[in-house]
Amino acid sequence: MSPNHRVAISEWVVAESPEILVCYGLGSCLGIAVYDRANRIGGLAHTLLPSQPRDDTMRRPGRFVDSAIELIRNELIYRGSLPESLTAKIVGGANMFEMFNHPVGTGVGTRNIDAARATLGKLGIPLIGEDIGANFGRSMEFDLATGEVRICTVLNRSDVKVV
Amino acid sequence: MNFRGLTDLQMDALREISNIGMGHAATALSQLLDEPILIRVPEVRVTEVARVPAFLGGAEKIVAGITLQVLGDARGTILLIFPEEGAIQLVKKLLGAGQQDAVFDEISASTLKEVGNILASAYLNALGSLLHLTLIPSVPMLAHDMAGAVADCVLIELAKKGDLALMMEADFLDRSGVPSMLGGHFFLLPDPESLSIVLDALGVMP
Repeated sequence: MSPNHRVAISEWVVAESPEILVCYGLGSCLGIAVYDRANRIGGLAHTLLPSQPRDDTMRRPGRFVDSAIELIRNELIYRGSLPESLTAKIVGGANMFEMFNHPVGTGVGTRNIDAARATLGKLGIPLIGEDIGANFGRSMEFDLATGEVRICTVLNRSDVKVV
Repeated sequence: MNFRGLTDLQMDALREISNIGMGHAATALSQLLDEPILIRVPEVRVTEVARVPAFLGGAEKIVAGITLQVLGDARGTILLIFPEEGAIQLVKKLLGAGQQDAVFDEISASTLKEVGNILASAYLNALGSLLHLTLIPSVPMLAHDMAGAVADCVLIELAKKGDLALMMEADFLDRSGVPSMLGGHFFLLPDPESLSIVLDALGVMP
């Protein structure tokens, strides 16, 4: 993958075409790409946890799936996007260590995915692509010229999946 | 206890116990491989959770990561990271040269977990007897993937409580003092709540 604007854990970035935003090494973390095709502008978040606690006063709300989606949406609208023209894609949410999070479906990766679906649903942003779950890490590139998301994994080093 | 408020004295005390624990872990590795293994003086650093993958060699670097929970009087996570090449070397040394190079099969995975178990137990035993704390390692878990993805699970626990991580880190060196060809890094990331228990046992609470 080409070196581009890197979004580290707990960061979120909004940028426009022709920029490419990237998240490296997503495990149970969830990469959330929100795109406005009309204006070729979008945002990418690299989130760790499903939801922001009510009493959270700590910095970096971009750690949380729900607050990161809202922050990106608000920023896109502030920059002129129409709420109804936004679409989303999600990548990651794996459960890396088989026993780390007890029974199937309760791991933090799964909870991150559920939180993303719930928040996107609440805000009326259609989820149009995903590459999620399983037990392997992913890197993603979000191309703001096209809205395309390209995904690499260690298992298939030469293959690039596009959603 | 917040990681941000650590004094120089407290950081020094943590560095010293880390040094002792790592010394025992290096001895265990050395006995396992039947060759001398030294350690670099351990680093203790407080860093943003977001920057931890950079200290593991970069989020995209392919590694074998073995992780164990620390249970007992104090809690935390141990993360043992070997670059892919180093992990293959390690498995070959322990199982003989007939092992496959490319993929980690069940026996290689099991071997790496056992290495993690032995090193973590040596480290925690040393720390426990020094501090008069009961510290027990959990069953080890292994992932062969990008360093960022391997570190995620560990960081999630920390991120629930704040945006900082305390990393106690050491590298393995070979006889001549250059980084061992295995290239392993050993990390202990204590839970914020457990830090005061450790500092109290060390006698350096303010």
